[in-house]
Amino acid sequence: MSVSFLQQSLLWGLLGVSIPIIIHLLNRRRYRTVQWAAMDFLLKASRESRGKKKLKYIIILTCRALAIAALIFAIARPLLGGFLSWGGSNIDTVILILDRSSSMEQIAENGDESKRLSAIKSVQLSLQSLNNPKLILIDSASAQPQSIPSPDALSELSATAATDTKASISALISNAIDHITENSLGSTEIWLASDLQQSDWAPDDGRWDAIRAGLADLPQQTTLRIIAMGSAVTDNIAIRTLSATRINNELSLEIEIIRSDANSSSAIPVTYSINGNRSSETVIFDGQSYKYTKNLALGNREGEGHGFIAIPSDANPRDNVSFFAYGEGTPAKTYLISEGGESNTWLSLAAAPPGLNDNECSLLSPQQADQIDWAGATLIIWQAALPSGPIAQQLNQYIETGGAALMLPPRGQSENSFLGIQWGDLLTSPQGQYFIIDDWNRADGPLRNGIEGTGIPASKLKAIKRRDIIGEYTTLAAWSDEKPFLIRRVIGDGTAIFVASLPDYTWSNLADADVLLPVVQRMINLGDSRYSSAFAAIAGSSKAKAADGEIRSRVDAYQQSNSSNAAYEAGVWKIGDRLVATNRPDTEDEWLVLDQNNMEALLEGIDYRLFEESANSKPLIKEIWRALLIAMLVFLITEALLCLQPKSEKKKT
Amino acid sequence: MKYDFLDPDALARLGAMPLEARHAMTGSVAGRHRSPHRGSSVEFAEYRKYVQGDDTRRLDWKAYARSDRYYIKEFEADTNLRAYFVLDASASMAFSAANDSRIQFARKLAATLSYLIINQGDAAGLSVCQEKIHLEIPPTRRAAQLNNIFDVLAKTEPTGETGLVEALHAIAEKTNQRALIIIMSDLFCDTAALADALQHLRYRKHDIAIFHMLDKQELEFDFERPHRFIDMEDQTSLVAEPALIANDYRHAMQQFLIDVKSACHDVHADYHLITTDQDYEKIIHDFLSIRLPKKGRK
Repeated sequence: MSVSFLQQSLLWGLLGVSIPIIIHLLNRRRYRTVQWAAMDFLLKASRESRGKKKLKYIIILTCRALAIAALIFAIARPLLGGFLSWGGSNIDTVILILDRSSSMEQIAENGDESKRLSAIKSVQLSLQSLNNPKLILIDSASAQPQSIPSPDALSELSATAATDTKASISALISNAIDHITENSLGSTEIWLASDLQQSDWAPDDGRWDAIRAGLADLPQQTTLRIIAMGSAVTDNIAIRTLSATRINNELSLEIEIIRSDANSSSAIPVTYSINGNRSSETVIFDGQSYKYTKNLALGNREGEGHGFIAIPSDANPRDNVSFFAYGEGTPAKTYLISEGGESNTWLSLAAAPPGLNDNECSLLSPQQADQIDWAGATLIIWQAALPSGPIAQQLNQYIETGGAALMLPPRGQSENSFLGIQWGDLLTSPQGQYFIIDDWNRADGPLRNGIEGTGIPASKLKAIKRRDIIGEYTTLAAWSDEKPFLIRRVIGDGTAIFVASLPDYTWSNLADADVLLPVVQRMINLGDSRYSSAFAAIAGSSKAKAADGEIRSRVDAYQQSNSSNAAYEAGVWKIGDRLVATNRPDTEDEWLVLDQNNMEALLEGIDYRLFEESANSKPLIKEIWRALLIAMLVFLITEALLCLQPKSEKKKT
Repeated sequence: MKYDFLDPDALARLGAMPLEARHAMTGSVAGRHRSPHRGSSVEFAEYRKYVQGDDTRRLDWKAYARSDRYYIKEFEADTNLRAYFVLDASASMAFSAANDSRIQFARKLAATLSYLIINQGDAAGLSVCQEKIHLEIPPTRRAAQLNNIFDVLAKTEPTGETGLVEALHAIAEKTNQRALIIIMSDLFCDTAALADALQHLRYRKHDIAIFHMLDKQELEFDFERPHRFIDMEDQTSLVAEPALIANDYRHAMQQFLIDVKSACHDVHADYHLITTDQDYEKIIHDFLSIRLPKKGRK
């Protein structure tokens, strides 16, 4: 808990503390000389008084000095609170960075209002105590600085209202630094109100280096004060739609329910609404999260549609609903670019198993790759030397725009490189031995376990030939010698998966093991989401915003929205001709809070103060001059009492 | 008047009051004070049997007529009083805060009392004691004695350390006849030694009266600011914050007064604590009044 002062210059008055001491010393020097007869008694008294009386006199002097100090401190208007440090009150401008991501709607600890509202009220009270310096607001949704005429207006502004967006703290601080630099602001402080959600702070973000350098380069030392609303998320359940895929006359929803309390079983009533028709069911599960698929019948309805899934309100009302929209169903179209051989058969079968969802697979040689209908392709399977030239560019663009590509090694050696990845040397296992899969990612990637937790039997895979994979990538499965078997490279919105062996009996048993089919089908699903994702957007993203001339209107029946905040709110919208379901980003459901060590590492070298708010809105600082005046009075009374001579002794003489 | 310590009006007012000795005196001539010897005063003392050599004129014939035995009727002898004024003339007697100094006050008391004593036919003497000097005027009842005493009083200036204890011992040794010893001092000396000296005087059957003279400021010690105190006798100095030491000083002074009173009480001395701001005439009046015989005693 530190103290700062509104009238800091008055603290020079503290020199007045020395007045009683100086007077005392002067008095000692300006003694009167008297001839004295009863010297023996004087000497005796002087000897006896040396101890406790001297102490008493020192206490009297101390009381006088403290009384003056208390008076000076009182008129300097001290502010008590860990929020402002010494000198922090002398502020011309406060730049308030307000995290209004959906996680800030969590009810504050021991409170009855959201963390966002609690932070706003605390800021309002604190600004009033600081003689209302100029206030600039940078809200996490718009990330744009705007001048606020009065702190009182903060709670009324749409720029401080709840949203379903995420917050990029590093970007917001960067904007604040830019604003200070561009506007040559005077004594400025950056106040950051955030729930310290790790995904919002993104400790791996490269901007933090620039932030540290930027703050250090500012002409005046700028303090970053963090109003941390980082209390643990409790009593909260979130629901989200992982995917919404139209399959004939059904809409298949992949749904995930996450809850803060992992140690109990819950029966959660879930409401499904599609095109105005509502139904509900109770979902019972253990653990922290539960994924399941819900197929909703569309009847004979054609064309676009939309809906939402919702759970009852809890500690954070913003994560109790998830919206979805869908369009016309399209068959999954896979292009297999192959050198030929046995693997073609297996790959074609895996891409378009007979009778499954009208999937199609077109076989092309690398030379025919220019025949690919990029716009209609769900998956590209490339079993040949890596593409180069215009084809490589087209494939790259296809992936960046959300496409999925499965890359398999060529039989012959090739030096081509694609997405920074190159096929390495062909390796053959020793006679009578096989390359086997030792470890793979069961939670993520094409070899992940099924929704019910069933694993892919990748350990049954045996290979006698494989190629190394050279480059930078994320390994999702590795051979027993830790070389990669299956890697992922994410480019833009899309994904490319590289597999190190072929479904060919001269290479491996990939064809007959239970690995190829799920990998290919999951890649098709991934690529298919490109189409369904046309109808989905993250609240606040550019896709969720209306372009010039487009009119936005909300079409779902879940709740009304604030028109000025519409771009940042979840819902189903008709934006121009587009139907878009906007939701909070998945990262908002990750309730991991930035820990102290991470924060110290991020803000290393930055003059920052952390104020942890756990209860309801309180001023982050408060004036304590009354207490100091009382202290002064106490010191004076103590001094007077100590100075009082015991009259009774005097009368005895 | 030649001496500023004499006030004729006060002398006139006090002249009507006699100074009485509290104990029997052994004077050289007849006077108004009791003597331990039998004499021819009108005050009956006792009967005793006639022994050879007794003056037959003192036989009580009426007693003989009643008892056929010879009785000598004895009467109290009245004698004069010898008063010694012992004046402490150490440097501390010059102390004065606002009023007369102790020595000035002592001069008034000694001069007035000696006037009264000689005026009533008793003998008065003066002993001025300092560290090294011990000036004595033996007591006589001559009128010229007054001038001697007054001259010495006028010329005595306080200086040096006190020689009171030694002076009292010397007086006790030298004065064989019972006398009234009137001590005027601040008694700033070793209390035990003082008590010893008083015991010595008492042993010689002297009547002791003590005017313990202090200044009001010495009792109250009401200084405000720091002071540098210089000892009047040996010139040592001490810088002190009065507020710090006042209580302890007062406590030490109280203890001193208790010790002195106790020493005086032990020798049945007539102890008077006086401050120099008091009216000396009233002090003498009280002193004389308290010594008057109680009703029915004489």
